[in-house]
This record gives sequence, C-alpha cells and structure tokens, in this order.
Amino acid sequence: MSNKEIKNSQTEVEASTVETELSDRRAFFKKAALSVGALAGTSLLANEHAASGEDDPFIMHHVKWGQKWGDPVTKNRYGVPSKYEHNVTRRNTKLLASGNFRASIAVTPIHESMGIITPNGLFFSRSHGGVAHVDPNEYRLMIHGLVEKPLVLTLDQLKKYPSVTRTHFIECPANGGQEWRGPQFNSLQFAKGFMSCAEWTGVYLKDILKDLGVKPEAKWILAEGSDNSEMGRTIPMDKVMDDAMIVWGQNGEALRPEQGYPVRILLPGWEGNLCVKWLKRIKLSNEPFFAKEETSKYTALKPSGKAIQHFYANEVNSTVTSPSPEIPLKDVKVGDLVEIEGLAWSGMGTITGVDISFDGGNNYVKANLKGLVLPKCWTRWSYTYKYEGKKIILASRAMDDAGYIQPTIDQETLITGIEAVYHRNGIETWEVAPDGTVTHMQMRSTLKRDDTGKVVIDKEAK
Amino acid sequence: MFKVNKLIISASIAASAALFMTACNSEASASGASHSGATTSAAAYANGKAVIDGGVTYPVVNGTTSDYAVDTQAESETFDYGRTATANEIAAWDTDVTHIKLPPEGSGSVEEGEEIYEEKCVMCHGDFGSGGGGYPSLSKGNGYELQKTLTNQRFDPDADGPSRFFGSYWPQASTMWWYIHDGMPHPDSKTLSVDETYALTAYMLNINEIEVDGQEVDDDYVLDQEKFAKIVMPNVDGFEPEIRGKDGIENVRAYFQVPANFGGQKVKPADRCMKDCLEPTAKATYISGTGISDFLPPMSTVRDLPQETEAAVVGQKEYEASCAVCHGSSGMGAPVLGNKAEWDKVAAKGAEKVLANAINGLNGMPPRGGTDFSDAKMKDVVNYMLNFKK
Repeated sequence: MSNKEIKNSQTEVEASTVETELSDRRAFFKKAALSVGALAGTSLLANEHAASGEDDPFIMHHVKWGQKWGDPVTKNRYGVPSKYEHNVTRRNTKLLASGNFRASIAVTPIHESMGIITPNGLFFSRSHGGVAHVDPNEYRLMIHGLVEKPLVLTLDQLKKYPSVTRTHFIECPANGGQEWRGPQFNSLQFAKGFMSCAEWTGVYLKDILKDLGVKPEAKWILAEGSDNSEMGRTIPMDKVMDDAMIVWGQNGEALRPEQGYPVRILLPGWEGNLCVKWLKRIKLSNEPFFAKEETSKYTALKPSGKAIQHFYANEVNSTVTSPSPEIPLKDVKVGDLVEIEGLAWSGMGTITGVDISFDGGNNYVKANLKGLVLPKCWTRWSYTYKYEGKKIILASRAMDDAGYIQPTIDQETLITGIEAVYHRNGIETWEVAPDGTVTHMQMRSTLKRDDTGKVVIDKEAK
Repeated sequence: MFKVNKLIISASIAASAALFMTACNSEASASGASHSGATTSAAAYANGKAVIDGGVTYPVVNGTTSDYAVDTQAESETFDYGRTATANEIAAWDTDVTHIKLPPEGSGSVEEGEEIYEEKCVMCHGDFGSGGGGYPSLSKGNGYELQKTLTNQRFDPDADGPSRFFGSYWPQASTMWWYIHDGMPHPDSKTLSVDETYALTAYMLNINEIEVDGQEVDDDYVLDQEKFAKIVMPNVDGFEPEIRGKDGIENVRAYFQVPANFGGQKVKPADRCMKDCLEPTAKATYISGTGISDFLPPMSTVRDLPQETEAAVVGQKEYEASCAVCHGSSGMGAPVLGNKAEWDKVAAKGAEKVLANAINGLNGMPPRGGTDFSDAKMKDVVNYMLNFKK
C-alpha cells in the first residue's frame, strides 16, 4: 500500500469521524466501521470473527502493518522518527527572522516533549550567522591569554581528557521575552520553547586549565565561536572554576551542527547565548571584552534607563505543558481525573517544589515533582485534577534551593519594567475553557510612573 | 597519601558548604517541600566567596556532586594534552578589540566608509543604517538625543519605546570595530581590511552623530587608532554593575546578592504565599488581536502522513542559500521573489542583460551577489528567480 493509498483511506476515516462526538463511543464505532467496511474491499481482509457496530474496527480487522513485511534492518542506518510524527518539529516565525533566518531561532515543540530530555533533532536552534558546518579534522581549540602555557588542542586531543556527563537545560534568555507587555503567542512552543534539555558529555574547563598555569590576575575569559559571526561572550572565572564544561557529546552522540558541532562551551544554568557554539578560542583576561552580544543584545534595560550588562543565570521558572494551547483537554467529562503536567527549571540551582493554581495564581496548592531532580535541569511535575467542567486558569510557580521563587508578573515588572527583553520568569497562565480549549493569557496590573518616576501600579486603570 | 589529602579537602568544602547553606534550604525539608534529596548545595564557593550569579554551587562531597558520582581519581590528576600555541598562531586568532585593546594601526574616512557601506552593507542595513527586512538598524539619528529615550517604558501601548542602537546604547565603540572586522559582511565575513574597518566605523559614528574628543565626525573626518582611543560613547555609563576595572568581578558578585537588583524574589518555602497572592488590581489580559501566529511550519499536532514534497527546482537551493538574504523580502531595494510586477520590469531588459547585471553587480547588489557561483550557476539561479511563481 503506498503512502497515497494509506492517506486516502485515512482521510475517509477522518472525514467520517469529523462530526462525531468524541465522548459517544457507540456512535464513533458505528461510523468508523462503515468507512472501514469500504476499506476492507481494497486492502484489509476482515478477520473471521463476527463484528457488530459496537466493536472497534481497528481490533476487529487485521491492521495493514500486521500482514505485510516491514522494512529490512538495512533501511535507515541512522534511524528517523515515524512518518506520523512529522508535525513534531522545531518551528520559527517571521518576527524572529533576522538575517534571513541566519541570525534567528527555531524553537522546541515542548508541548510534545516527554520526560526531561529533548531529542537532538528537536533541540532549539539559535545562531548569529547561520549553522556552521565545521570539519572535525580541521578543528582547533586555542586557550591563551593570562596563562603560562598557551594551548592548542585538536578534537582528538580534547576528547582524551577524562569525560564528564551531566544533564542540563539550555535556555535562551529571551524565552518568553516577547511577552513583557502582554501575551502574544497562543502557543506553548513559542511562549516557552526557547529552551531544551540534554545529557552533555565533555570535560570541565578547570581540568584543562590545571596544566596551563593560570595567572592570578585572570578574572574573565572570552569564549569565541568559529562561525562567520565569531559569536563571543565574556564569562567570569568563577564559573570556569565551578562547573563550566567544554562539551562534544549530546544525548549519547556527537553534538548536532545546530548545537555547535564539534565543540561548544556549556555553562550550566546560564544564558544559552553564553554557551558559545563552534568554540574556537578561549582567552583569559583581567578585563571583560564587551563582545557584541553582551552590549547590543542580551542586556536587560530597567526603568531607570540603566541596563544589567552581565546577566548570567536563567532564574527559577516553570510552565504547564499539558494541557497547552496546542493540545487542549479532550474527551473529558465532569468527575474525570486529569493529569496536569509541567516543567520547572532553575539556572541557579535545583527545583525544590512547584505549586499549582486554578485561579490564575491567586491561590495555590502543592504539586508533585517526579523523576530525576537534578541541578540546573528540567524537572517534571504533575498534579492530578478532578475535572469540574468549568473554566479554570492554570498557573504554576516553582522554587529552587538557592531560595528563589517565581515572581508574579507584577512583582517582576515593578522592578525590571517591561522593556528588559531578557530574563522574564514571571508566573504564566493558561485559561482552560469548559470545553477544554486552552488560551494563553496573563494576570497583571497596569503600571505607570508616579511623580518621582518610580514604577507603580496604576490603581485607576480600567 | 593523595587520597587522604583529597578527603580532607572534601571535608573542608562540606564544612564551608554547611556554613553557607541558605536558610531556606533547612526550611525546605521542615516545610515539607516536594523534594528533599541528599543534594548538598552551597551559596558560596570553597574560597568562601558568594556564588557569582546569586545561585548555589554543588561541591564534591564524599565522591558525589548532587546526584552524580564523581571520578575523583581523574579529578586529582593533571593532564597535559595538546601542544603550546605558537606566537604567530596566537596573533592570527587574537583579534578581539576592547576598551583596553585598540584595533591595529590604520585609518579610514567617513567618505570611504559610506562608499563601502553603499557597496556591501546597504542591501541589508538600509539607507544610512535605517534597517529593514529584519536586519538591525544601525542608527535612528543623534546618539546623544536617543540615549535619553532609554528610560522609556511602553506602559501606554502607543508610547515610544527605548531606542537601543549603536549611538544611543552601545557602551563601547570597540565592539563595533571588532564585530565589523570579524563578523561582517554577514555572508562574507573577515574580508574587510583594517583601513576599511576604520572607514566603516567612522561612518557608523557619523550617522549616529557622535563627537570624538569634542569634534564632530563629519563627512571629511578620518578615523585612526589615536582618535579611536578617544571615543566615548554616550551610553558608556548606562550599564550596571560596573564590570570594568579591578573590582569588576566583585561588583557583579555583590549585584546578584541583591534580588531586587534583577527582579528576583527570595522566600523561605514555609513563608510563601498560598492564598490571595495576586495584587487586587491584577486582571486577566488576553492576546490583543490574533497575536503572533505566522508559525513555520503551521502549528499542528495531527498524526498523519506528511505531504509529499515536490522535487527541488533548479536554482532554488542556490537562491535560498545566497540570494534570499536580499531578494526574500521587501525593504532591501532588490526585486522580491514572486513579485510579478517587479520581475516583469527586470525581464523586460532581456535575459542576456539580466544575467550580465547579476554577474557584474547592479545598484546595491555586489558582483554575483557576493557569491563565487560560476556563470552557469548564476544563470540557473537568475532563471529560477525570473520564473518563480507564487
């Protein structure tokens, strides 16, 4: 059976079920059975058991893949997802299309994400001059500046260091940054998908530096990429001597080109932009570098007119991932149990708890963490909710072991204003209508400046 | 012997970790927070200094850090792989230009800069750096005046926002010189000479109306290393904390110890708000209009078979890689792919002439569109663009 035939037969099934009430199983099976009756003539042989309208035709008839040879093992030597999963992809939007999608971003479908690992093909992709394709044979890493012994490593030499494997998220600090002035995306993928999480393999940078004679006056490093934009950022030595890694492995295989193949620097918990890809050069210095992406961008402008220049860790954050605007509640009736699921993460430490609200963040109950709970890593949480058939406004609020808790949008914007672009971690809300439809909205007050210029809540605002 | 030392070190780290453990950590288990594993975190490093980002660190205690086992044998060794970099190699790659590291000697004038800009930059950054087609604007006028807009906040949706351009926002001119020289022009970077980079930087100063050492950067201005050293950008002190100088790192450390500096909220878990947490003024705010929904590919969660894609057309790949930059959207002055009226006008010149223009360059378009395509490939891609139908 060709793709086209499968598609045709499938269209028939879908067409026949469009107006079907999902909760009415009997009607569903009757209609589906009718269309499968038509199918049987073309390729599916009914099995020998008697069938009535109540029986599921996909049980009562042999399925097409159950009767024919499948693919030989020689096909797809590097495996690919099922064709039916083709809608689970990174996506982009023209709003973020700078440089003809070269200085741009494609974001992760976290509404389809499972567990705490993002598959390599779905890991969000951000570059400042396009995705570079580095020849690993020509790859060199140079470490120089305030060291006694400036070093050059080939890729093979780099991989000789004893490897370390850690699971960390990487988040673009502009995750949610389009929504400082109000919600814009009716989509989880775009509202929160500027991040992904993977298991990384590499070496601690401090372990390479041990042999190089770091001079005491070294306070900062420059990490610089070899792509056409030479993307570079300044990183304080404190992070280098703590947990900064030079990584070449991602979820058990080489980094993908979109993640800096063959080598990137990983600063657990810190801005994705700081985790420089296609890494070519590390320079130790006593002064910061004022690279383009730490001056023109990646700086958070406050109401005072001053901007936070070096803003490292992505602060504690969370989101409800199920339901989402993309995948609403379906097939539920009053009294059904529904698992509300989400992600929590903090670049400052480990998630210690998540609370969930059903009234937009006014009142909370404790949700449950589940699975591995690791530092600077996605953490899954859930709450089993008894569906009441009325409108709810879901909000989640995470805490970390550094002592931080997610602020309300008002708490955050009263300090940072609404022009910061980066590092927005205010509590986010989904409105779930009685029919299960999910709409992204926010709970916030209108702000203004008072006579002294201070940002305050506008109590008269309608 | 070494192992013993290691244990002692670990123990002392653990002790300091305990000392600096934040109050909320001990509260966490008392209040019944969801997770209270064996994870040992500390708000300070082994040297006693607070963690630089305001968060915590995870010292290795008894061979583990958080839930990870650590190969302490590997940790205790020193590995000397690779080789020493030569002086020439370092010189070749040590190209950063900063507030303490001037560009190499050279010079260039505003006039020369404008010429280069018109040839190599205008197709993306627009006339006089006005931007367009999703590329950054380089100027919106006088840097000193626009710097005053940085306090703008669009609490009123119709108000003007802050102007964050080179002249009004960037603290250092060194950033511009460095980025032009290493990262521009985008599809063909690292091709501008030192003098050309001075010239373009001079032009950037000119269109942003920046004064250097009290002197207006007018059309006749020639920028060189000595003058470059005297540039003070209008917003040089517009950032916090101060990262320059010997206290830079400590300023950052102190800054992130104060949550109010960056919008953080600290709370003991037991004291967190569980009831009536919203401001009474907070109200439901919805996406205005349809919001942003031009997602590519369009949003769908259906499990069906993908549509079979048509075979790629000759020239399409080259177009997408090298020509779409300017021909993909309006605002660049180049005919936009699929705009029939614009392309009819081009086609009227005759195929030979169009190809010759593409090969030799025309208006803002550099020869061969800045590519190294052969004549045959140029013909393919020109035909693709001429014949493209939406």
